[in-house]
Amino acid sequence: MSKSYYVQPSQSGGGIVAEKVDAKVAYIDGMAYPIKEGESILAFLRRNFGPDFVPTLCDAPNLEPFGSCRVCSVDVAITANGSSKAMASCHTPVMPGYFISPHSERIQQLRKNIIELVLTDHPLDCLTCEVNNNCELQTVAARVGVRDVRYPEGKTHTNRKKDLSHPYMTSDMSKCINCFRCVRACDEVQGQFVLSMAGRGFDSHIVKGAETSFFESECVSCGACAQACPTSAISDVFESKSVVFDKKERTVCTYCGVGCNLEVATVNGKIKSIQAPYDADVNGGHTCLKGRYAFAFYNHPDRLSSPMIKRNGEFVPVSWDEAYDFIADKLIEIKEKYGPDSIAGISSSRGTNEENYLMQKFIRAVIGTNNIDCCARVCHSPTAIGMQRTFGTGAATNSIRDLKVTDCIMVIGANPTSGHPVTGAKLKQVAMSGKTSIVIDPRRTELAKYATYHLQLRPGTNVAVLNMMLYYIVKENLEDKNFIASRTEGYEDFRQNILNLNIDEMEKISGVDRELVRKAAIAYASAPNAMSFHGLGVTEHSQGTFTIMLITDLAMITGNIGRPGVGVNPLRGQNNVQGSADMGCQPYQGAGYFDVTVPEYHKKYEEFYHAKLPNYVGLKIPQMYDAALNDKLKAMWVIGEDMAQTDPNTHHVVKALSKLELFVVQELFMTETAKLATVILPAASFLEKSGTFTNGERRIQRVNQVVAPIAGTKSDGQIIVDLMNRMGYPQPDYDPKWVLEEVSQIVPFFEGVKWDELGINGKQWPVNKEGKGTPILHVDTFKRGKGKFVYNDWKESEEIVKNGKEYPYIITTNRELEHYNCGAMTRRTGNVKIVTDDVLLINPADAQKHLINEGDMVCVESVRGKVDIKAKITDEVKPGVLSSTFHFPDIMLNNITSSISDSEAMCPEYKVVSVNIRKSKGEYKKVK
Amino acid sequence: MAVKLLLENAHVEGIRYYDAYRKHGGYRAVEKALKMTPEEIVEEVKKSGLRGRGGAGFPTGMKWSFLAKPEGVPRHLVCNADESEPGTFKDRYLMEFLPHLLIEGLIVSSFALGSNTTYIYIRGEYDWITDILEQAIAEAKNNGWLGKNILGTGFDCEIYVHRGAGAYICGEETALIESLEGKRGNPRMKPPFPAIQGVWMRPTVVNNVETLAAVVPIINLGAEAYAKIGIGKSTGTKLMSACGNINKPGVYEIDMTISVEEFIFSDEYCGGIPKGKKLKACISGGSSVPILPANLLLKTAKGESRLMNYESLSDGGFVTGTMMGSGGFIVFDEDQCVVRHTMTLARFYNHESCGQCSPCREGTGWMYKILKNLEYGKGKMSDIDLLWDIQRKIDGTTICPLGDAAAWPVAAAIRHFRDEFEWHVLNPEESQRRNYGLAHYADPIHIPVSA
Ligand SMILES: Cc1cc2nc3c(=O)[nH]c(=O)nc-3n(C[C@H](O)[C@H](O)[C@H](O)COP(=O)(O)O)c2cc1C
Ligand code: SF4
Ligand code: SF4
Ligand code: SF4
Ligand code: SF4
Ligand code: FES
Repeated sequence: MSKSYYVQPSQSGGGIVAEKVDAKVAYIDGMAYPIKEGESILAFLRRNFGPDFVPTLCDAPNLEPFGSCRVCSVDVAITANGSSKAMASCHTPVMPGYFISPHSERIQQLRKNIIELVLTDHPLDCLTCEVNNNCELQTVAARVGVRDVRYPEGKTHTNRKKDLSHPYMTSDMSKCINCFRCVRACDEVQGQFVLSMAGRGFDSHIVKGAETSFFESECVSCGACAQACPTSAISDVFESKSVVFDKKERTVCTYCGVGCNLEVATVNGKIKSIQAPYDADVNGGHTCLKGRYAFAFYNHPDRLSSPMIKRNGEFVPVSWDEAYDFIADKLIEIKEKYGPDSIAGISSSRGTNEENYLMQKFIRAVIGTNNIDCCARVCHSPTAIGMQRTFGTGAATNSIRDLKVTDCIMVIGANPTSGHPVTGAKLKQVAMSGKTSIVIDPRRTELAKYATYHLQLRPGTNVAVLNMMLYYIVKENLEDKNFIASRTEGYEDFRQNILNLNIDEMEKISGVDRELVRKAAIAYASAPNAMSFHGLGVTEHSQGTFTIMLITDLAMITGNIGRPGVGVNPLRGQNNVQGSADMGCQPYQGAGYFDVTVPEYHKKYEEFYHAKLPNYVGLKIPQMYDAALNDKLKAMWVIGEDMAQTDPNTHHVVKALSKLELFVVQELFMTETAKLATVILPAASFLEKSGTFTNGERRIQRVNQVVAPIAGTKSDGQIIVDLMNRMGYPQPDYDPKWVLEEVSQIVPFFEGVKWDELGINGKQWPVNKEGKGTPILHVDTFKRGKGKFVYNDWKESEEIVKNGKEYPYIITTNRELEHYNCGAMTRRTGNVKIVTDDVLLINPADAQKHLINEGDMVCVESVRGKVDIKAKITDEVKPGVLSSTFHFPDIMLNNITSSISDSEAMCPEYKVVSVNIRKSKGEYKKVK
Repeated sequence: MAVKLLLENAHVEGIRYYDAYRKHGGYRAVEKALKMTPEEIVEEVKKSGLRGRGGAGFPTGMKWSFLAKPEGVPRHLVCNADESEPGTFKDRYLMEFLPHLLIEGLIVSSFALGSNTTYIYIRGEYDWITDILEQAIAEAKNNGWLGKNILGTGFDCEIYVHRGAGAYICGEETALIESLEGKRGNPRMKPPFPAIQGVWMRPTVVNNVETLAAVVPIINLGAEAYAKIGIGKSTGTKLMSACGNINKPGVYEIDMTISVEEFIFSDEYCGGIPKGKKLKACISGGSSVPILPANLLLKTAKGESRLMNYESLSDGGFVTGTMMGSGGFIVFDEDQCVVRHTMTLARFYNHESCGQCSPCREGTGWMYKILKNLEYGKGKMSDIDLLWDIQRKIDGTTICPLGDAAAWPVAAAIRHFRDEFEWHVLNPEESQRRNYGLAHYADPIHIPVSA
């Protein structure tokens, strides 16, 4: 056999010949090496001799040791030359004074024998196997030197049937070597418990669910099992583990704010498959099905591939030059005729930081207005404003990795297992581990099922429930008095207000038992480290910003700020919600959050951009619609947002957009919004460009171009730059490097960010001059100095006050794991085979009352309109509450949502809509 | 007449029920023990020299003293009544006839270990015994021996009987714990050991039925008196379940001073071999321990008479000795075929391997397949070496000792009966018609005299 992989101790350095047993060393082939407390023998050996020193099969980088293959066995004696015992190195802790012979004759024989045994039940068709040359069994067999198999003919499992039932996951259990890695990945990484080992001994075999197929099982297609499987026994339709690729490029997922790193393999300039790098801080070898499998949209035939101008109601393909000229002329004309404030831009939280920066620069410096906003308006704008007011920074205080050290999690208005799947899986693991978990949500979400406390409140009563929690913390004397005294202000008034609360009333309106609230409050306040998370169930309310401030109050009153495992952590919806705000895509603050009305900052921006800028606040998205309807706004340029499907009160939005003189839509697909455009510009997807995204934990990560933009498209960044040049503001071609350089000069917390120094895992802002990032904010002081307690009273939503009587049900919106927002991308991937339409969640009692059966179409009617949705009867929602997704354009759920929005940030109130329901009369009615 | 500490009253009318049991001195050990401190009881058990009766023979008092006692974490005692080893059926007898003896032992031991919730994990096939135990527990509870504040001492204890679902592996203590928790019975990696993290990740002691029953006479007699019975490190009495080619199969309580010869041939115990046949071989402690040919069984390699105790049975190590194991005593007469017998055991282990470890999962399968070939006249000479090779690679390399248990019988059979295997290979047809027979296996062995 080949011995080349051994590193002889004499060559490795660091070893000293064993003489007497030292307390903190163990011996490898007679040489002493210091050990680390708690490390396994395998870790000890690998630390000293590299990752390939000992062969393994059941061990995997992101899984707990399991000890089933025994290939990692080494000889261990407790005295020099004493009698030794074979021990599995992966799960045996190394002890002081162990004498380890990693490759004794006996051990080599053992390994060889084990592999030989495994090979007796393995089809030897390596050459035609999809993982040929990337198979751990193959590698280990070659290393231990198995040449032939000595066993006679016998019964084997080499003819098992393949499972090709699923749009993504595949299995060929003839290739299974019973290492349990898939089972452990599903349990430990995803927490889905789909896979298990059935039968025992020679009959043991992997099953999905109760011996069903991937498709019928509860599998959420995260692909963790396929990546973990050392052979091709579990794989995917893209053959992700095959070595048939030209190159691999690392980039960042665009489907949510978790910011998973992806390793994208390409063949002939086309994307072949995606894997999750194990060395990614964010996702360590994990993704959800969107990140890993839902990429087929990128070269879907529906991709827009030429600029188009609407002429006589028809879109006519034109050249880029023609489109640019048309837009530039029109913009100049409108600006001259109606003034710069008649033009507005909506940037995209899907785009890179650099593109967002350029877009706001275009609107401000080239057009000369502050009418710039982005889609964060409709999701996390209250988070930014609320946290800025109390802490001074509108961003997550901590990092996701803190979940490892926290003692308590509180998840408010978020369904992370669907919306933020990789973080969701981690939260689920925390909840399952027996640590305290509190879920505040009107729906019994997946996480709520595992939670210690689920406060299932009526939609629109977040403020009431959080105030009750604060009340009990004060009543039970659980405040962190030191923290309050040294780090905060405004506490006395706040406390008085809290103590004056009418708990009876709060209990009644929220519908949550006060005892439960009290227990949850005590649990949160008495945990040594408690961490809160929130999502759109907090922000998309008329009291969204107030709720955010109460969440920060809770963190401050309990001193849960400024160390690992605590803090306030918004779960960002889109991949770059954080970044688009950081870059200044809001009408009141520019890049770096400087207030555009403060003379000092106004001047700073004017000097920086060499342009005349307005010193008053511009329009927020909802105000833009009103302005368009009032003939004040004449032109709008939108990047990558389908407002006509996703913004509330569709009729209102469509009417406003239709009135514009110039409506430029930059898109991948012909969305509902694009159909209303005057000019459509075909943009490149994230896979076709470079830049940076900032994830929900402020981590600026590099997005690297994987494939060239598909024919006829350009990156958003290039399009903006082209138009800037057309309109007389010269800029070089789009390249993240120079843009980032410029950003670092104006955005203080980007000071030390350099394109070439971001590394594979990016940096968490603020990044200082020396290039050092910051995983935890507000460690010694708050950004604003002292943390500020702000009390807010609960107030009923206008929607319910006005319409609640006539429309007694409350519908709230949610999303499915498998789809992303308007679905323009995910509906063009295999994901549609998994989730085919929107559904209305309805409690059995309500269904019975209206004689609605599972699968019936239900007419949901609000004061603004009606839609028909298919019923799914479930106790996930309480009686009186309905919930629905909005991924499919057929439904147009936003026909019924309201224009009411958060009082401070104008984030629309998607989560509380008064409706009535009845069984639909017709079969399936499409609503126009 | 031998001392009987456990089965003394086994045949007293109605002893299965509380009244008779109590009338014959039952629950005195609880009365006595609850006046002692838990530490004193552990000390008594240590001094008694009691060794685990579940197979490994680990000193019970020592095991108890390893139990971790972190503040505020409950601890558990689990009684291992899974008894699935072929040839072993002593626990069944004890539980069937003297359920209260086990309950009494459990109460004392639970008190000593601080277990307020104690489990009996019983093999699924013993369903009628489950009923017997549950009835006895109910009686004990009605009479104040279980439940809250037992005998006014403030000690609370409940005992639950949990039925297995038919897997030998669930007798292995960590698989048992998994199964008790409601999971698939796969053995756990060690460390952590159950004494640190067992049931529900809490400190746990797992002991055999007989071990826990023996705590009763230890308390009643006192450790010193108990330790005087037996020889050396084999103190007290041991239950043996005897079967195979003997006149009187059954469960016997022996004090560990008698010889193997006496046990097989005296009328007090097995009563000799039927039809005047000759003794060929014997498995002395359940299917997992090495089989010995008659000559090595009755005399050690040093020429001394072999006794029925831990030390003497294992005299000579695996080269010429065997083990006390779990006390399943299987006797083979001259008509038995060792190859066939080894194949039967291999089939058992193949069927019972949980399948986690590659060597055990694949190895048990191949040992069975190869032995089947040998037994049915399809074997090759090289198969014997291959068998030897496989068993060596399983022994000591797996997560749990089932791998060892599967390897040892094969190793011992080849070690001592190699010519019988070779005869099968060389005489493929004849071996299908007749057995190899006694051959030389009972011949006196030459004892080298050391200078
Ligand atoms: C495969 C296997 C099966 C076992 N089955 C039993 C059993 O049925 N009963 C038992 O008491 N011990 C059994 N044991 C031993 C237990 O693991 C454990 O050592 C024993 O219960 C400890 O009790 P003791 O110290 O009282 O002997 C088994 C071990 C193995 C490896
Ligand atoms: S894809 Fe994910 S959820 Fe599905 S079986 Fe594999 S690990 Fe489990
Ligand atoms: S399917 Fe793959 S990962 Fe799962 S046990 Fe088999 S070989 Fe291991
Ligand atoms: S969790 Fe979010 S970032 Fe990660 S793969 Fe899924 S959608 Fe992408
Ligand atoms: S040795 Fe056998 S029975 Fe024990 S854990 Fe391994 S495979 Fe399972
Ligand atoms: S890697 Fe250690 S047993 Fe498999």
